[in-house]
Amino acid sequence: MISAGTFHVISTELTVGMFALAGIAFLLCALQKGPESREAVAHWALLGGLIATPLAIISGVNSVSGEGIDNPMLANKMLLSMTSAGLAVGVLLRKKWGASVDLRHSSIGMVSVALMLTTAGIGGEYSRGETLLLFIPKETVLLFPVWASIAIMILGLAIVGKSTVQHRS
Amino acid sequence: MRFKVAIVLLLMILSTTISTANPGGKGDSVRSRDCAGSCHGSSSTNGSSGAELDIQYHNEVYAGLLTEVTTSVSFAEVSSNNMVGLTLLVNSDGAKDLPANDGWEIVTDPNGGTNNYVEIVDAFTIESMVTQTWTLRAPSNPGQYSLYLAIQHGSPGGGIAMTGISDSKPITISEVPENLPRLSEDWEPVNSRGLGEETEITLQTVNTDTATVELQSGGEIITIPVIDDKFTIPAAVNPGTVQWRVILEGEGPTQTSPWFRLNAVEPGWEVDEFALYIQAFALFILCVGLVLVRRPNSSDSVENKYDNTSEVNSQFGQIQQPIIESPSQETSPPPLPAGGLPPGWTMEQWEYYGHEYSGDSQTGGHL
Repeated sequence: MISAGTFHVISTELTVGMFALAGIAFLLCALQKGPESREAVAHWALLGGLIATPLAIISGVNSVSGEGIDNPMLANKMLLSMTSAGLAVGVLLRKKWGASVDLRHSSIGMVSVALMLTTAGIGGEYSRGETLLLFIPKETVLLFPVWASIAIMILGLAIVGKSTVQHRS
Repeated sequence: MRFKVAIVLLLMILSTTISTANPGGKGDSVRSRDCAGSCHGSSSTNGSSGAELDIQYHNEVYAGLLTEVTTSVSFAEVSSNNMVGLTLLVNSDGAKDLPANDGWEIVTDPNGGTNNYVEIVDAFTIESMVTQTWTLRAPSNPGQYSLYLAIQHGSPGGGIAMTGISDSKPITISEVPENLPRLSEDWEPVNSRGLGEETEITLQTVNTDTATVELQSGGEIITIPVIDDKFTIPAAVNPGTVQWRVILEGEGPTQTSPWFRLNAVEPGWEVDEFALYIQAFALFILCVGLVLVRRPNSSDSVENKYDNTSEVNSQFGQIQQPIIESPSQETSPPPLPAGGLPPGWTMEQWEYYGHEYSGDSQTGGHL
């Protein structure tokens, strides 16, 4: 057996690699350059990264030495990774429902990739104290009140539900 | 072209240098020698440390009781961050070498934890000697034991992981005398506390009539009375470490415990985890919704320079137009007049010009 820390390294590299590939493919889609397979590569790589993300999160939580979330960087990692995953799921659903891969679609995909790579950068800062991302927040967490989070969740569910109904009609 | 690419790749490979693993350390932990601080470095790329390592301990070490071990590092030439990893081990084989394998328990390491591998930042130079103190609980079985001190650090120029290990240091563990005043085997010291809070410590002693605690804070030693086996260490204003030990007196020989270290640390960062999880899920749902808020439709189709469907349809329509019109001309001929074909007409002429004949007949005209 391997430790949670080692498994976290494996799953994280899988996630980051897939998201990075998706980001490059989305960039080519936005520029309308490169091979015709860029759209398929972008979305399949994004899906692969999305599948590996929960494994990275779970193994990361288990490999933390302390109890619970006791560092602002861990909280920011969770918020950023969930935001990135939300954008990625939206992009994949939109593609599945027949949207064309235009500049807007590609840009959202790239934002999702950027957020996930920022999450990985925070991980480097947390575990080794070093990262190329000098601007990441190390002591600040933007935490909403619970009622605001619930309101946002209801708003999001309403939008998703409406979009689903429109798609079926 | 391929040859040039191969040459460039070869040059890049040849220009690589051997780098040390974990130059910033990996953090204190319980580690075997194989993995203490240089897990990612191949042993073939390591250098041999020139540091002189030593272990010192009290003459009398009793089975199952606490004892103090002092380790020293001399003549260490380290990297610019002045960090050294020290590992306390029971053999030099690299396997089953943890102190726990021989029954030792690390009660307090030099950094105030309970690890056999600690990372120390100090003034390590070729002229200096740096000492560290460990508090251990001896194995419960009397006999001969050995301890080793291993070291990992960077080289002054960087780039090489230096490792080394001390010679074996034999220790004789003796039976505990029956009337020896001592701390109970079940008693564990407190290693850390928060700022601004007093710490009351309860001692568990055996064969002890009186106990006195000495508290060392800075260079000063203060005596603290022990009442009903309890004493209180004053609150700390700033983060730091104080040391204390207890002197136990009874029928047997007076015993002095090892120095115990009590770290005062700032309160850790806390967050309402429920609110955090709810917010993370809310952001996930909201982002999915925001991406889907513009429903994909036919107007989304982007103009593609390779898509000439509209032009082909237009041209195809123009070609089809006469073809479509011709059947209208070839519609079925009008019914024959009551008297049959007009005189002199053939059936073929009627099929083509019968409409005109019928029109003329209805309007009164006639050929």
